[in-house]
Amino acid sequence: MKTIDSLVEKALSRRTFLAGAGAAATAAALTGCSSNSYGNGGTTTMGNGTTYTDADILNYALNLEYLEAQFYLYAATGSGLASADTAAPSGYAGSYTEGTVTVGNAAQVAGLTTAEQEILNEIAFEEQTHVQFLRSALGSAAVPMPSIDLSFFGPLAVAAGITTAATGTGSFNPFSSFDYFLVGAFIFEDVGVTAYSGAAPFISAAGVSAGYLTAAAGILAVEAYHAGYVRTALTARAIAAGSATAYPYLGAANLVEDLRAKLTTGNTAAPSTSGSVETLLVLPTSTSTPSAIVAADPTNAIGFSRTFTQVHHIVYGSATVGVAKGGFFPNGTNSIFAVTSA
Amino acid sequence: MANQETQLLDEIITTSRRKMMTFGAASLAGLMMAASTKEAKAASYSDSDILNFALNLEYLEANYYYLAAFGTTIDKPNAASIAAGGPSAGIPITGSVGTAGTVSGGSKVPFATITVGSYATETAIEEGKHVLFLQGALGSGAVAQPAINLGTSWQTLAAAANTLTPAGAIPPSFSPYANDDTFLVGAYVFEDVGVTAYHGAASLLTSSSNLTAAAGILAVEAYHAGLVRTTINALDPTGALGLVGYTTSISNLRNALSQAGLLGAAPGATSYDANPDDYGLATFTTPTALGAGSTATSTRIVDSNPTDAIAFGRNTTQVLNIVTGGGAVNGTAAVSPAVGVFFPAGLNAGPNGFK
Repeated sequence: MKTIDSLVEKALSRRTFLAGAGAAATAAALTGCSSNSYGNGGTTTMGNGTTYTDADILNYALNLEYLEAQFYLYAATGSGLASADTAAPSGYAGSYTEGTVTVGNAAQVAGLTTAEQEILNEIAFEEQTHVQFLRSALGSAAVPMPSIDLSFFGPLAVAAGITTAATGTGSFNPFSSFDYFLVGAFIFEDVGVTAYSGAAPFISAAGVSAGYLTAAAGILAVEAYHAGYVRTALTARAIAAGSATAYPYLGAANLVEDLRAKLTTGNTAAPSTSGSVETLLVLPTSTSTPSAIVAADPTNAIGFSRTFTQVHHIVYGSATVGVAKGGFFPNGTNSIFAVTSA
Repeated sequence: MANQETQLLDEIITTSRRKMMTFGAASLAGLMMAASTKEAKAASYSDSDILNFALNLEYLEANYYYLAAFGTTIDKPNAASIAAGGPSAGIPITGSVGTAGTVSGGSKVPFATITVGSYATETAIEEGKHVLFLQGALGSGAVAQPAINLGTSWQTLAAAANTLTPAGAIPPSFSPYANDDTFLVGAYVFEDVGVTAYHGAASLLTSSSNLTAAAGILAVEAYHAGLVRTTINALDPTGALGLVGYTTSISNLRNALSQAGLLGAAPGATSYDANPDDYGLATFTTPTALGAGSTATSTRIVDSNPTDAIAFGRNTTQVLNIVTGGGAVNGTAAVSPAVGVFFPAGLNAGPNGFK
């Protein structure tokens, strides 16, 4: 019969081991953690009995950062991540392989002003740095980049109902103008916020002590800065244009929200209704009517979160349970969470 | 069997999380992430102490935005605040801990643009909801609103910012209530600080539901900060209007106060710029190449560490030093209890709380 004290002691020694190890040792420890064993890294057991490690959570985030970094780098520069940032790291012992990028019409966004180019540079730099940071934190346990399809914006827009008739500005291509780029960015940023928010509480206590939670919270904040940027820019441009008709991109972004809500299996409430995890953009008509820059619960103004599988539903563009790939990830994410489960 | 033990261990670890934080942690964390907070010393505070610290900050923010958008403090709703979605009953300012203080200064901003006016209105409602949420979460343990100075504190801060190098250019008579631009500069003072405060506190919370709520509020503060920085950048993309210079001065001041709180030394003799934890809106050159290309000139919409693109975190002493003016204003590194600037009588806190 184990006493609580002895269990606490055991728990603490596990953490102490991690804290005492240097970065290299920890990377090795993380590598040694398989998804179904109780390794030296922190683990968390889900309600359905699946056990996963902190490395699994960080790798989940890394998959999303690969996607964001490729999108923003192409938009800013016309090319993507350097190969050093996508290959399997030295010593990688996992089974995932490096994928390729389907470029489609991805290119440097056309017609950028200097100010717009500088903003693209910033977001591309930050997302690329997140990739590099997570790969560094994971060491040899970092998964290589999965295959990414940047031509999925077209089908996604069709699914969302963003048609030429709806916008009056031609078919959806986030690389064709800065306004359309904003809609493309809008697809990702609020989702990034909800993904980190949803994952943070699952980081193990050992991971908290190792600084993973703090890092995740810090990246969450950066994603929310980005989301705040995109939502502010869309709103300000619509106000400047004077009407939703004159600036159809605001409506297009809201169509994206409608689609994301439908894909968030388990919580498909319409945006801005009770229980939804989406807040529609609005076009304020006076200085005293509120805008809707922040995506948050209307009751308590707290930001939303999504589960691992809900995020996968969105990036796969499929509400179907049991799907392992699709959408932006034609071969699935390189993640233990790759198959949608609910 | 093994699985059962694993679950039990994880449960214990979760509930003992803060206890474990007291075992010197930093070697790994320090190696792996430069932005990690330094608050790893033994402490006897609870989640309630942390949430009450946040509540003090939310009282401050909510009153600033309520005054700017509606012309009233949070406890006095008016037609404008109710029409915008605020509660028809006044937001409570009393609590079982501490006595309710009054708010001095502040007035409705004569907004000229829909853009900035609508942002102020939205933010006021959201910060008010944060006050209500935290009061609800804390129940009978919630602190009362402390005394808040939203009048002369701005001039005090402007003068302090202007003493730093590079010299600030904020007019000594600065008031955020003058127009759209000055309101944004006032908002700039708060929002990035809110992000760093919630970020710094996240790993100290022991309850999973409290952590989820804190992460959610962290996100909202970062949305607000992104909004403010985006709008200032759009108004003054080249810095010609001077607004970018204001943000640089404010960030420099926050950095100096934060570093003073962290190091326990008054700013001035020491250069604090080696590892700043705050950046204004001036453009910068990315420290690494973009993709396989080259470095590029970049905006600074996100206030984050350029080495890892992770937002900064601050411990409670650093945040207190900023919101009370700390060393740069009072001439000493850190005053305990911290008193001054926005909180002329200090924060309201329980016996082990942060003040």
